[in-house]
Amino acid sequence: MGSVAAEGGLREEPRSFLIGLGRGAAGAMLFGIPMLMTMELWQLGFYIERYRLFLLLVANIPLLVLLADRVGFERTSTWREAWRDATIAYALGIVMSAAILALFGDIKLDTPFSEMLGKIAIQAVPASIGALLGRSQLGGSSGDDEEDDEAEEADEKDEDKGDGGDAVPDQLSTSYSRELFLMAVGALFLNLNVAPTEEVILISYKMTPWHALATIFVSIAIMHGFVYAVAFKGTHELPEDTPWWHAFFRFTLPGYIVAMAISLYVLWTFGRLDDTAPTQMLMSAIVLAFPGAIGAAAARLML
Amino acid sequence: MTEISRKQPSETEDPHWIEWATGIFSAVLVVGMIGWVGVEAVVEEDQPPEFGIAITGGNAIAGGYRVEFEIANRATRTAAAVVVRGEILDQGKAVEDAEVTFDYVPAQSKSSGAMLFSAEPGQREVRIRAVGYSDP
Repeated sequence: MGSVAAEGGLREEPRSFLIGLGRGAAGAMLFGIPMLMTMELWQLGFYIERYRLFLLLVANIPLLVLLADRVGFERTSTWREAWRDATIAYALGIVMSAAILALFGDIKLDTPFSEMLGKIAIQAVPASIGALLGRSQLGGSSGDDEEDDEAEEADEKDEDKGDGGDAVPDQLSTSYSRELFLMAVGALFLNLNVAPTEEVILISYKMTPWHALATIFVSIAIMHGFVYAVAFKGTHELPEDTPWWHAFFRFTLPGYIVAMAISLYVLWTFGRLDDTAPTQMLMSAIVLAFPGAIGAAAARLML
Repeated sequence: MTEISRKQPSETEDPHWIEWATGIFSAVLVVGMIGWVGVEAVVEEDQPPEFGIAITGGNAIAGGYRVEFEIANRATRTAAAVVVRGEILDQGKAVEDAEVTFDYVPAQSKSSGAMLFSAEPGQREVRIRAVGYSDP
């Protein structure tokens, strides 16, 4: 950890920066490969409406910056570093997507430029999230790393006094908005995996409203269970005297709404909602919010 | 990253009011959504797909003529693999036909497509109709 952050600092060896890059690339590949091997996403690359693609690409920037700030190196982070990490992650996402698509022969030298661009751009979004996650998830947890970070933190504090990064806002609401943000990232990530496939709308067509109702309940139950009941690493514990429904209302239900909103956004981006009746939109959003809810819950545990 | 969870393994005992506000707002939305789907579940009758086709435009293209149309499914069941055939009729006799297949025409929704004919229909009648579908 902290190796990419040290890009600017000449004191860190370039080797650790390269290791950071490697972790990012590995993460981009690990998290990006399911999408890089999805035919529908290749096709979306050339038929997706350009303004929707543009919006997705732009929306990815603050997402990466926030993610870099809150997840990457939480203890050392300044906004400048977060921007730098996000930029590197985005670039890694683009490079890895291009490389792998080229490897698969999906883009060739004679592919029209606009198609090439669309394919790489749409893949770069999940890959760049993967690059950031890879850096934090694959990062060593050995003692040296922690020491490095702390040393770095001290350095940064010296260098960046009054740079905004150390102004700690209201701790309580910050951590709450962070939880919601992490849930959004988790939901977005799984949604991007699943949404391009035809199965999502096919399932919504096969389902009756009764199935949809059951899916809503199951999604919410899974979200709550993932975080509070099943004892995964990182499981959140409730204070003893707090009834279970406190967390249910404050975290699980907002989390599900976040997952629904992200589902609708992703479906819209991929043109799945065009000329569709509101009930059908809701049905496909409910279907997509199911993996979204799992992703959101998992993100709270892992990140 | 386990640092975060190590730092904050438990939810705070004294939450900010904004957490409750968000929670209540979300609960309202979820209940509303469940209500919507629930009403659909109870009220909705199962109607087999029913199509309405409207020609929305036409223009000459290289080597022929394009007739654009919309196909609407008014029923509550989605149709898959909808085959739509278009014909140019000259005094009741089909002189040219074209065919297009829609992957899906969702319930109560519209899809659009186009027929490509080799000649401009002009005064002749263009008939477009769905000839078959499968259940998804």
